[in-house]
Amino acid sequence: MQQPSTPRRRLRTGAGRRRIRPGVPLVAAAVAVLLGAGAVPAQAAPAASPAPSDAAPTTVGLAERPFMGWTSWSMQSSKYPGLNPDGDYSYLTEANVLKQADALATKLKPFGYEYVNIDAGWWRDNAWVPTFDEYARQTPDPVRFPRGMKAVANHIHGKGLKAGIYLPVGLEKEAYANGAAPIWNAAGCATADIVYPDLRTTNGWDSAYKLNFDNPCAQKYIDSQAQMFADWGYDFLKLDGVGPGSFKSGDNYNNVADVAAWQKAIATAGRPIHLELSWSLDINHAADWKRYSNGWRIDTDVECYCNTLVSWENSVDDRFADAPAWSRKAGPGGWNDLDSLNVGNGEMDGLTRAERQTYATLWAISKSPLYTGDDITRLDDYGLSLLTNREVIAIDQNGGAPARPVSVAGDQQVWGARNPDGSYTVALFNLGDAPASVTAHWAAFGFTGNASVRDVWNSRNLGTQKNAITAALPAHGSRLFTVRPGTPLATTSYEAESPANTLSGNASVAGCDACSGGQKVGNLYLGGTVRFNNVTVRKAGIYTVTLAYVSGDARSATVSSNSGNGTSVAFPSTGDWGTAETISVQLALNAGANTITVDSGTWYSPDIDKIDVPQTL
Amino acid sequence: MDFRNTPSRPSRRGFLALAAATGAATALGGLPTFAASAAPRRPTESPLLAADAAAKNQLWWQAPGSATSMIEQGLPVGNGRLGALASNDPGRELLMITDATLWTGGLNDTLESDGQFPYGRGDFGSLTLLATLAVDIPGHDLGAVDNYRRTLDLAQGLVTATYDIAGVTYQRQVFASRPDDAIVLHFSQQGRGTYTGVISLAGTHGESTTANSAGRYASFGASFANGLRYGAAVTAYSGTGKIAVTGTSISVTGCREFTVVVSGGTNYAPDATAGFRDPSVDPERLARSKVLAAARESARDLLHTHVADFRPVFEQFAVDLGTSSAAQRALDTWERAQARWRDNVPDPEFEAAYLQFGRYLLISGSRGSLPIGLQGPWLDGNDPDWMGDYHTDVNIQMTYWLADRGGLSDTFDAFADYCVAQLPAWTDVTQRLFNSPTNRFRNSSGRIAGWAVAFSTNPYGGSGWWWHPSGNAWLCQNLFEHYEYTQDRAYLAKVYPVLKGAVQFWETRLVTTTVTDASGATREVLVADRDWSAEHGPQDTRGNTYSQELVWNLFENYRTATRVLGRDTGYGETIDGLRQRLYLPEVSPTTGWLQEWMSPDNLGETTHRHLSPLIGLFPGDRIRPDGSTPKEIIAGVTALLTARGMNSFGWANAWRSLCWARLKDAEKAYQLVVTNLRPSTNGSNGTAMNLFDIYETNPGRGIFQIDANLGTPAAIVEMLVYSRPGRVELLPALPAAWAAAGSVSGVGVRGGFVADLSWRDGTVTEVRLTSVGGRSTTLTAGGASRRITLKPGESVTVRSL
Repeated sequence: MQQPSTPRRRLRTGAGRRRIRPGVPLVAAAVAVLLGAGAVPAQAAPAASPAPSDAAPTTVGLAERPFMGWTSWSMQSSKYPGLNPDGDYSYLTEANVLKQADALATKLKPFGYEYVNIDAGWWRDNAWVPTFDEYARQTPDPVRFPRGMKAVANHIHGKGLKAGIYLPVGLEKEAYANGAAPIWNAAGCATADIVYPDLRTTNGWDSAYKLNFDNPCAQKYIDSQAQMFADWGYDFLKLDGVGPGSFKSGDNYNNVADVAAWQKAIATAGRPIHLELSWSLDINHAADWKRYSNGWRIDTDVECYCNTLVSWENSVDDRFADAPAWSRKAGPGGWNDLDSLNVGNGEMDGLTRAERQTYATLWAISKSPLYTGDDITRLDDYGLSLLTNREVIAIDQNGGAPARPVSVAGDQQVWGARNPDGSYTVALFNLGDAPASVTAHWAAFGFTGNASVRDVWNSRNLGTQKNAITAALPAHGSRLFTVRPGTPLATTSYEAESPANTLSGNASVAGCDACSGGQKVGNLYLGGTVRFNNVTVRKAGIYTVTLAYVSGDARSATVSSNSGNGTSVAFPSTGDWGTAETISVQLALNAGANTITVDSGTWYSPDIDKIDVPQTL
Repeated sequence: MDFRNTPSRPSRRGFLALAAATGAATALGGLPTFAASAAPRRPTESPLLAADAAAKNQLWWQAPGSATSMIEQGLPVGNGRLGALASNDPGRELLMITDATLWTGGLNDTLESDGQFPYGRGDFGSLTLLATLAVDIPGHDLGAVDNYRRTLDLAQGLVTATYDIAGVTYQRQVFASRPDDAIVLHFSQQGRGTYTGVISLAGTHGESTTANSAGRYASFGASFANGLRYGAAVTAYSGTGKIAVTGTSISVTGCREFTVVVSGGTNYAPDATAGFRDPSVDPERLARSKVLAAARESARDLLHTHVADFRPVFEQFAVDLGTSSAAQRALDTWERAQARWRDNVPDPEFEAAYLQFGRYLLISGSRGSLPIGLQGPWLDGNDPDWMGDYHTDVNIQMTYWLADRGGLSDTFDAFADYCVAQLPAWTDVTQRLFNSPTNRFRNSSGRIAGWAVAFSTNPYGGSGWWWHPSGNAWLCQNLFEHYEYTQDRAYLAKVYPVLKGAVQFWETRLVTTTVTDASGATREVLVADRDWSAEHGPQDTRGNTYSQELVWNLFENYRTATRVLGRDTGYGETIDGLRQRLYLPEVSPTTGWLQEWMSPDNLGETTHRHLSPLIGLFPGDRIRPDGSTPKEIIAGVTALLTARGMNSFGWANAWRSLCWARLKDAEKAYQLVVTNLRPSTNGSNGTAMNLFDIYETNPGRGIFQIDANLGTPAAIVEMLVYSRPGRVELLPALPAAWAAAGSVSGVGVRGGFVADLSWRDGTVTEVRLTSVGGRSTTLTAGGASRRITLKPGESVTVRSL
């Protein structure tokens, strides 16, 4: 979420939502942006900025699994009737927080939900005017939190839960006090010492002065905030407006040092505090976020700032495009945060049943933290069932890697991941506005034949399914299966760099450490193609052909066999230009020799490592 | 040649007898009104096909539709008058129901300042939706069902959806019965399942539905500003559980099975002198009586009655274009459409099914009421593009090109009866308004006779948008060709006034001009007055090829009609004299194309959708690639068709395919069929999930236009059989994809025959020709010919030509 300073509502038209997509008219400026982003095919993008040599290790023990809980922001940010009676963002009060904590303890704690996270505004009144202590530290608004923050944390702890709090990154402008405010427990340090002389601003709203860590006083300021939270008993901090990210880039908005300082401060504060970063963090700094924090928001706010908490387009569905890039960035200690999970009350959420299930499905298979922003006192039966499905929660918490798309046929997508126990999580999604059937082919997961299937949401064993499973999905609907595979699939690999292939346009062979054979074919753009010749199968039929590829951003290509028109494949980002992933397509092959062509058409395609073709149908 | 005369084969006709036994007679000129009818006779034996026999003509899908996707995903049913799109969503069955006569608007006889017609939903009018019917079953949320499958059974006119919930298999069937004049939904299950839900009938123009708890029905009735009254009613019944009226809905509680019957209609009458109304009809009351009468029958009996009516009509024609692979058969219909395009591997069974789907639409949308307009009776709202009207410059003509070719002669009656019923109004409006001084297309002669129409027509004698002087001749071409197929003199007598009126119009419209031949000689010719080559190029040119060809065809057909009927024979000869003086198009020395205008220059868009200058190739056949047409004309026609390109949309591709079939270029004709099968995504041109043809009006916005759904099948038939009186050629344009082996039966042949043929390796192996009135023709295949002489009702089987 964003701290609503000026304007309070973060506009959704910011640069962070702009990206080069297939179909954008080819103009010189767009090409310049693309190339400038380091996305030249067959060339690795610059690595993330080097980590400081004195970095401390990630806090041990926190975020071993994605955290679960509740956040105040969804209701704070909504215009849903009655939530914010004293003006926008007025929902956040001690009474409301404790009411939700009590409900969480009763209804959701048995399922693993434990964090009660206070979001933006705890130090601001209903006119959004902040209060700071004499040391330039945020101090609770007496109307919202008349007993202060410690009492709130105590109450939360009394329920067996954990307490979370919030800060924007940087020194808030209103805390500057003409540079004269002393820094707590830092003799000789004042606010003037912790910022740059030109008062350059930072964070997603430019609401703070950028901290200058060349001056040790800046670390002291962070230490003082961390100590305050530790003293109050907080277990979790969301640091917001962090860049690169939060729709900002450039030196002034690089808050890596701030995040590192927070990790350092927490380590010395005497209390473990989970550090979560927000929002739309720059994936090129994923190594930094992983090093210094316990989780990072990969995307913009899920909230719609409208008459409901969220809506499908604004912006639940954004995650389907944005999550894949991050799939290899998450793991124990730090997870990809898809934002709050507002599926508990259909009317307030502003979503259909199908959309709510889909929302929860994507979050679970992405190993996102599961924290609802709903009014837990008013969950409807369906919402409660979604939030408390133990099998779904277990998928989220199984410690495995986030799922990735394994086949993407327009709005009909199959995502999956291999689970630590050897089974597979298989999710079917229909992101279209009309019902559609979606089929998961076992071959796309590397197995074949009979596999036993469990319908997770419906808690039903569907028995043995041969080669594939198909389900009818409503608009924006989903199915979630756990599949125990039978026979491994025997495939034949065809390397893209093979001299037997035909390259056209600017396509060329390049080295690739992540690729089989150490090489790939890149520079597939503006008509460049790679044609695999002599792809041989014994029997004519429709095959699941798997393409291994490298693509630091989402790209597309038309993949065809023989004389076919092919299928336009949306290749999700592999996160960087040094990671190979796979995606599968259905293609007819004749008995004997075939060609398979990857054609960039009128735009940019990923670099192709190889294709795998099943040896049998 | 193995040559054998036999009496007419009884098998196929036997089904016709079965149909007649149901009381659903298909008499010519039946009143297309919503009217009381005698109780249907019920078949005593099941007419249902066995599952494996039915599978051959079934389309199937693994997902339902929804309220916002009915045009792409709704499955069409229709009883020839009432049409509906069904969503088949387990939790909410939704039917959008259209009555072909539910038109706003009227005669529309006040011209605008430019002498042309208004074209709005108030003045000209629009086809609109009659009602929506929803059956909500809250416990059957799509998110919780397994093994969802729905099937459109083309041969039996039946939509079936099945799915499993917790070990129970639920099934629903939806069909539109002509004998019972109602749409029936039957919900059943196997297991221990029950249904609990709500049935709601709602008008789409703000009507209030009322329910009657004693009668267990709900209904509404209202009238439009144009005075048209309309209404609809629904009832439900079950042998188990409870059915009750709750508010304005009908509730279903704990029923192991239940049946819903809905009907409705208007007081439209196809009678210009009565103002196109039948004041004796109270549509709401009639709808109630129809649904209550049907509800006295078991769902099984209603289904059997319907199938006994539908199936024999469907089975008048069969087609086998070859065998598809096991991989293709494993795919559902939408997956098959996608695979066909993606892989470019022919899928003969799917391609044959697409043809049969067109026939299904014709049977469902064109029996006993108004003809099929731009969408037929399948709307998803009250503002269909171009009013869902009758477009007279290819669309309605294409719609009916399939009827005789596809063994559905009787479905043509709706079109013919429409023209006959409209004639008095068309004549009146033409004679009052056509020569308005502001009408740029008026007759220079100052004279007026007969009738004409605009590009659009409605069912109230009204025209819309611009005058379309050649439209009458094109309508008459269809009307006369139907006679050529059927040799039915009574029919010809019925439509004769329509033909004659068009001839009279043209007699006053032709003007003389002098042309110079290539040799330098000059001659005086007759040309059509200032006009537009159907939506293309200049709007004030004389002697356009489009008009010249159509008038040539009209005059020739008219003379034949006078001779057949022994009426106006002297006038017929006079008209034929005019025909001989008509200017006929030449090949441009500049472009090498057959000229569209009396100019060597290309005055329009090279790849324009319309093929107006090729109308003498198809649907006309003055231009024949059989040696009888000068080869430079054939070359000019071929060059023009080539220039028009292979990448248009729906009907434009279908017309191109038909032209290439006439030129015997099988692969081009086939390629255009395949192009129309391309899956439509985000409104792009091509085929929707339910196989409706989609035309992209703007990027991202596609609309349904039914003409390609019927014109593309017509092209497939034309690739298999070409005919004109005195000649039938087999496999004139058989593409490699279908060459291995196949058969087609029930194909209408101009001259009064029906052809059944089979082939192997591209060669005809057997053909049976049956006379439905024709006496002799020349049968041609693979370069060999044979003169055939038959008496009406006789057949001949030829095994090696």
